[in-house]
Amino acid sequence: MTFDWAAVIAALPDLLQGLQLTLIIALAGLAGGIVLGILAGVALTYGGRLTVLPAQLYVALIRGTPIVVQVMFVYFALPIMMNIRISGTSAAIITLVVNSGAYNAEIIRGALDGVPFGLREAGLAMGLPFRNVLLHVITPIAFRRALPAMGNQFVNLVKDTSIFLVIGVGELTRRGQEIMAANFRAVEIWTAVAVIYLLVISALALGLRVLERRVRLP
Amino acid sequence: MSMIEFQQTSKHFGANVVLHPLDLAIERGEVAVIVGPSGSGKSTMLRCINGLEKISGGDLRVDDISVLGSARDVRRIRLEAGMVFQQFNLFPNLTAMQNVMFGPIRARRQTRAEAREIATALLHKVGLSERMQHYPSQLSGGQQQRVAIARALAVQPKLMLFDEPTSALDPELRQEVLKVMQTLASEGMTMVVVTHEMGFAQRVGSRLLFMEAGRVVHDGKPVEMLSTPPGERFRDFLQHVN
Repeated sequence: MTFDWAAVIAALPDLLQGLQLTLIIALAGLAGGIVLGILAGVALTYGGRLTVLPAQLYVALIRGTPIVVQVMFVYFALPIMMNIRISGTSAAIITLVVNSGAYNAEIIRGALDGVPFGLREAGLAMGLPFRNVLLHVITPIAFRRALPAMGNQFVNLVKDTSIFLVIGVGELTRRGQEIMAANFRAVEIWTAVAVIYLLVISALALGLRVLERRVRLP
Repeated sequence: MSMIEFQQTSKHFGANVVLHPLDLAIERGEVAVIVGPSGSGKSTMLRCINGLEKISGGDLRVDDISVLGSARDVRRIRLEAGMVFQQFNLFPNLTAMQNVMFGPIRARRQTRAEAREIATALLHKVGLSERMQHYPSQLSGGQQQRVAIARALAVQPKLMLFDEPTSALDPELRQEVLKVMQTLASEGMTMVVVTHEMGFAQRVGSRLLFMEAGRVVHDGKPVEMLSTPPGERFRDFLQHVN
């Protein structure tokens, strides 16, 4: 067979539009997932029973079910239960925030737990309230400990957006599928889609590597 | 009014009594050295003073503020009582300078410029002017502990608590830390020091407390207690640490 470059070039505008949506969903999911992950992670680590139990339940629920089932639930079941309408993109973002938040929470709990107890005591012994010890003593160290695992989680998150083709969100993979259904150039289209993902994730991985190096302690 | 007043203070972890009801007053300017076998309750007693351990019974007042008071009261006590730990506990992500600036900025709400001035003076005082921009991992144990002393002093405490400050150090590094502590004592700082350094107790201490099984068994002048040990157990203990 011959690789038909013309098919790739023809598909590129559509694919890049798909990429744009992929990036929007990923960035929103990333930001929301970090916030939710911090809240749940802090609750898991330092909370009383009233906050630990809900946080544990949340993490167990999300980690115990596939993300495809989660997005189906958000897109099809939730609107019926709550009598609302929801767009595919919104459903995708909500799913991604809730999903990645749970994984982030576990990473953050591990990082917070790993900060030597003596540092916390050193901060408290200076008369700081615990919230300031958490913010100024524990967080800078936990952040460095969490970074490699969080980076891994971010990479997974970008790729997880491809799952949203099941609810018809026009992200990169969905666009590829649609184009291929029209022109049957499977090799060209899926190669192009794969290369685009690879470039995005390589850039992300490089950024994470640079960040890790910048905050590395002597 | 004493600097520290134990009033029937007791502490237990579950059924395990670590500190039997204790009445004791430590006056301003005193350097109280607490010695005793491990597990005798020395560190717990010290950590009760700044509320790192909650007392189980009685009261404990520091500069007339009770450790049983509000969270705010406990923070006031902690601002007045600097603490130095066995394991230094310096913030590994901050330089020596930033470690010492931390308290003035975060605990005393001073400006960065004020904090820098305080930190520069204190690092000079502990002999580390040349090491200000080093991270803890780039310093020896003795240097780290001197930074930790400077960090505690930077909050401008009225008294200093030392929890086995030289126990994690190689013998040749202990003297540099003890010297800084001696200078501090000579300037009139109220100090409570948990240690095994009997030489320091004799040279610098104004008072020696011997603890055993959660009780202060002997309490006296270091020179007298060390020249004529007041009890069998204390004599045994001295033989073991020397």
